[in-house]
Amino acid sequence: MLHTRHKIEYDPTNCVGCKLCYKACFIDVIRWDEEKKQPIFKYVNECAHCNYCMASCKKGCITVVPDYSSQSYRQSFDMYR
Amino acid sequence: MGQNFEEVRESADILIVGGGIAGLTAAVSAKEKNPDAEIIVVEKQTAGYGGKANKGGGVLQYFDLEHMKPEEFLQYHVHAVGCYLGDQDVMKKYVAMNNEMIDRLAGWGVTVPQVKIPTGPMTFMFGIDLDSTLKMAAKARKLGVKIFDKVPVSDLLTDNGKIAGAVGYSILDGTFYVFEAKAVIMATGSQNYRVSEMWSCGRGDGIAAAYRAGAEMRNTEFGNFGQLFRKESLHEVVFGENNMYNRLGENVTKNFRRFPEADISATALREWYDQMSQGKGPIYLHQPPRPDDGGFDKIWPRPYGGPFWKEQRREEEGKDKDMEVIPGLVGEQSPVRVDIDMKTSIEGLYAAGDVCYCGSGGPGAVPAPPGRNRGSGILNAVFNGIVGGESAAEYVKSAEKRTLNEEQIAKLKEDAYAPLNREEGIDPVDVIDLIQDVMCPVENSIIMSKHRLDICMRKIAKAKEMVKELKADDLHGMLSCHEAEAMVLCCEMQMRASMMRKESRGWFLREDYPMMDNDNWLKWIIVKNEDGEMTLHTEDVPIESYDVQPLKF
Ligand SMILES: Cc1cc2nc3c(=O)[nH]c(=O)nc-3n(C[C@H](O)[C@H](O)[C@H](O)COP(=O)(O)OP(=O)(O)OC[C@H]3O[C@@H](n4cnc5c(N)ncnc54)[C@H](O)[C@@H]3O)c2cc1C
Repeated sequence: MLHTRHKIEYDPTNCVGCKLCYKACFIDVIRWDEEKKQPIFKYVNECAHCNYCMASCKKGCITVVPDYSSQSYRQSFDMYR
Repeated sequence: MGQNFEEVRESADILIVGGGIAGLTAAVSAKEKNPDAEIIVVEKQTAGYGGKANKGGGVLQYFDLEHMKPEEFLQYHVHAVGCYLGDQDVMKKYVAMNNEMIDRLAGWGVTVPQVKIPTGPMTFMFGIDLDSTLKMAAKARKLGVKIFDKVPVSDLLTDNGKIAGAVGYSILDGTFYVFEAKAVIMATGSQNYRVSEMWSCGRGDGIAAAYRAGAEMRNTEFGNFGQLFRKESLHEVVFGENNMYNRLGENVTKNFRRFPEADISATALREWYDQMSQGKGPIYLHQPPRPDDGGFDKIWPRPYGGPFWKEQRREEEGKDKDMEVIPGLVGEQSPVRVDIDMKTSIEGLYAAGDVCYCGSGGPGAVPAPPGRNRGSGILNAVFNGIVGGESAAEYVKSAEKRTLNEEQIAKLKEDAYAPLNREEGIDPVDVIDLIQDVMCPVENSIIMSKHRLDICMRKIAKAKEMVKELKADDLHGMLSCHEAEAMVLCCEMQMRASMMRKESRGWFLREDYPMMDNDNWLKWIIVKNEDGEMTLHTEDVPIESYDVQPLKF
């Protein structure tokens, strides 16, 4: 889980600035813009697609789109496939 | 540059590091025991939202203590799971407190369902909702516990061999924090090396801080928890051990799991490796359909976790057509040594939860949690939190005020900000990449041999050199540097102890020493920092004083 290519799509239309997505992130991918009262997806390439931000958003503003090909469990047999 | 950041000083009777289920339980329990004690929780992310208890299945182990005795479970556990390496008194205490813990959780606002499902002859399970940590955080705040979010603790402070507090920094604005305290409870979770997504908050910097302060570590070689994941969606498989098939259509793990209780054994992962080596892979899972956690919602209504599990199911749907499975490292090194009261080897320093599960000796020869003891992760954290919180609350009543050592603080501050002050250096991701290279392959961490461990040690030596040059671009990167350093340390403790243990026992498998050796290896390996040098020694398990001894044929 190093430098993945998962995406976090954010549609601010219905965002009420509740900060839950920011709080929900357990590995500091999401920061908070205090002026705009909106999330900043600052370290997306570290996202673990735990989906907690998406599930916490009551307004459906966030969609996490995983890219599984950017992850690996690094077993040595991977290279022989 | 680091010197320009603002410095803030705080003081408390008890400082709790980590606001997951263990830390919050400790905070609430300590406050209930000693309402006058001032308590601070300092959390790297957001207390109540951080950690792992809200990322999983929420399944808790239940013992029907009206119809069974803790000693009966101990008999089973010592023979089948802990393989005589456990501290049996700790395990007995955990089982004996089961019903009390559940009642206390309910009293703190956690919804506990009545319906329990049997998982074996002596255990049941039930599911709590994923908002338990939020309820605990609310309870802690109500009791007057002060919480600092987004402040990772980087090191512990000592005063003449006793704990004196901790230092940390805000990842938002760089403020340097000095926390003075008579007691510190480490509740920072386990080391998971940033491999498996859901476990990726466990980065071991709390373990490293305790180690640097001189706390003893025990069972570091049992930080090798892994499980099967589906190849395409990388979603974990639970209870799949018996249903692994090779490319030839042979069921290669028939009866590996003989009854429902003891789940996830290292032998199934070893079998994956053996089959792959023989060219009989890939390995597929032909598993009869069973309800997943979402299915359990019919039994245990869990409205908070519902959307979370729904997303999980949406993600994996239709991805794993042929159900190929691969092992993935989870890690779960939890080595801070504690006694039955959750005291570490440093006066005033306590630990609770995943940071010290194996260090407590409780689970024996398994990485933990779940340590083949499903539903024991959250409950062990609650167990440790209650016991550690109450012990610390008692201790601070008579402990004298600490004197802070300004020289020590200045040095630790310099160390903390060093990666930010370097003009040039190494990206922490490169170091973590190398460590994952050591830890991830099954043949390095699950089924080990001297030859392969030697190669791992060479890579670790290289990583240790890289750590000296770590460079951060911002405060987030600075935290990554500290985490990378902790991963190198934990990996070294794991691999050196693995070299030392010349036998196979429980989850620990050596290809070159395949048998359990009760004559020579009923021993714990203790790792310690002595003047900057990592030392390892063994200590006999006091097996004669325990209820259960190895069977003699
Ligand atoms: C996917 C998944 C499924 C699971 N399913 C179950 C289950 O069904 N049943 C069960 O019993 N258990 C389960 N577990 C295990 C269980 O979640 C853990 O055992 C438990 O949450 C551990 O709690 P903890 O408080 O000790 O550690 P954590 O939950 O890891 O919390 C540690 C906290 O400390 C913080 N922290 C870390 N370092 C620092 C630092 N240096 N300074 C300040 N703060 C820091 C972290 O941000 C975190 O908030 C599961 C775990 C996962 C990941």
